[in-house]
Amino acid sequence: MAKARDIPGLHADLSYREAAARTVAVRAQELFEHAEGVLDTSDIERVHDMRVASRRLRAVLEIYEPCFPRKAWRDAVNDVKALADALGERRDPDVHLAQLEEFAAAVKDADRPGVEVFAERVRSEQDAGNEALAAALATIEETDLRGRLAALSAVASPENDPRRSFGLQRPVTQ
Amino acid sequence: MKAHTVKGLDPDATLAGNLERIVATRLDELCSFAPRALDPARMKALHDMRIAAKRLRYILEVAAEPCFGPYATTAIKRTKDLQDLLGELHDCDVQLPRVRALQDELRAADALEARARAADAPDLDPTLASGTPHAESWRGLETLCIYVEARRGLLFERFLELWRDLEREGFRARLRYAISERPESPTPLSPSDNGDHASAALPSTIGSDG
Repeated sequence: MAKARDIPGLHADLSYREAAARTVAVRAQELFEHAEGVLDTSDIERVHDMRVASRRLRAVLEIYEPCFPRKAWRDAVNDVKALADALGERRDPDVHLAQLEEFAAAVKDADRPGVEVFAERVRSEQDAGNEALAAALATIEETDLRGRLAALSAVASPENDPRRSFGLQRPVTQ
Repeated sequence: MKAHTVKGLDPDATLAGNLERIVATRLDELCSFAPRALDPARMKALHDMRIAAKRLRYILEVAAEPCFGPYATTAIKRTKDLQDLLGELHDCDVQLPRVRALQDELRAADALEARARAADAPDLDPTLASGTPHAESWRGLETLCIYVEARRGLLFERFLELWRDLEREGFRARLRYAISERPESPTPLSPSDNGDHASAALPSTIGSDG
């Protein structure tokens, strides 16, 4: 699992608002850095890393909630949560299959057909999870989640006019 | 489980003061599950405790080093251990009914098959119940059920042990204290630092700023 990156310049006496801007910027960047190759089921660690990054991002958005404009914050949290859920839909069967393979390798031959029947179900869930993840990735692209998170981070920074709203609005998708 | 709202957060106050409030609330939430979650039958309490541990861990990952005393960093590891163990337990709780449901489904299909084999017979010949299409699968599924159930029992014992260790260690009180501490000030500014970290060079403070 990828270690969370340090947030530059974060310290106890920094304003909560400034910390929000810096932290969300770094955690959002981490999320998108892990997006490459997540639909490849032969390398299950990619999904895991992106899922952890999505959880960390969601957690910091929740931690810094009072520092952001309400509506834009809620849209971003909901979208990050939807992405995290989709990543979970793929990750859970990935882990489950790995455990079943390990179990099947350890038990007697006579026990394996039953494990295989169950594994077959889990493989179908993995396929469905991959489709759900592909759709979720397309949605965050269409709605420019990356740009909205950058705008959210910028608007929290004390250097910016708190009334600034450019780039915060979530585009309507079909 | 919905997280409790933390009152009194102020975007213009210090990071440490605000995060101290949030950590205190998340810590209380986690510990509030202790009496219920120590009963192995309380699956929901165990699941909620896992969510509470996750929330506490993620905020500590952000806050421990820059804002709090040394035990807060130790608490990240303790919270992660707890979250991981509760996660494994939760996986068992999710997996077991699914394996049993599949067994039931295959057994029902085989019963229908045995019945169909009997056709118009006045009673069912016992031999028709053997060699059904899924007979081989039951055994493996039964072994899997036994494994998951036994593993759940073992993991629950480890959870109890871990929770007792946390209590012995004074996890709650020590983390409470750590979040009221502030770390040593960072190294004084270098000439090239342009005053960016000016406030970090102020003397450290003890206790909440509100």
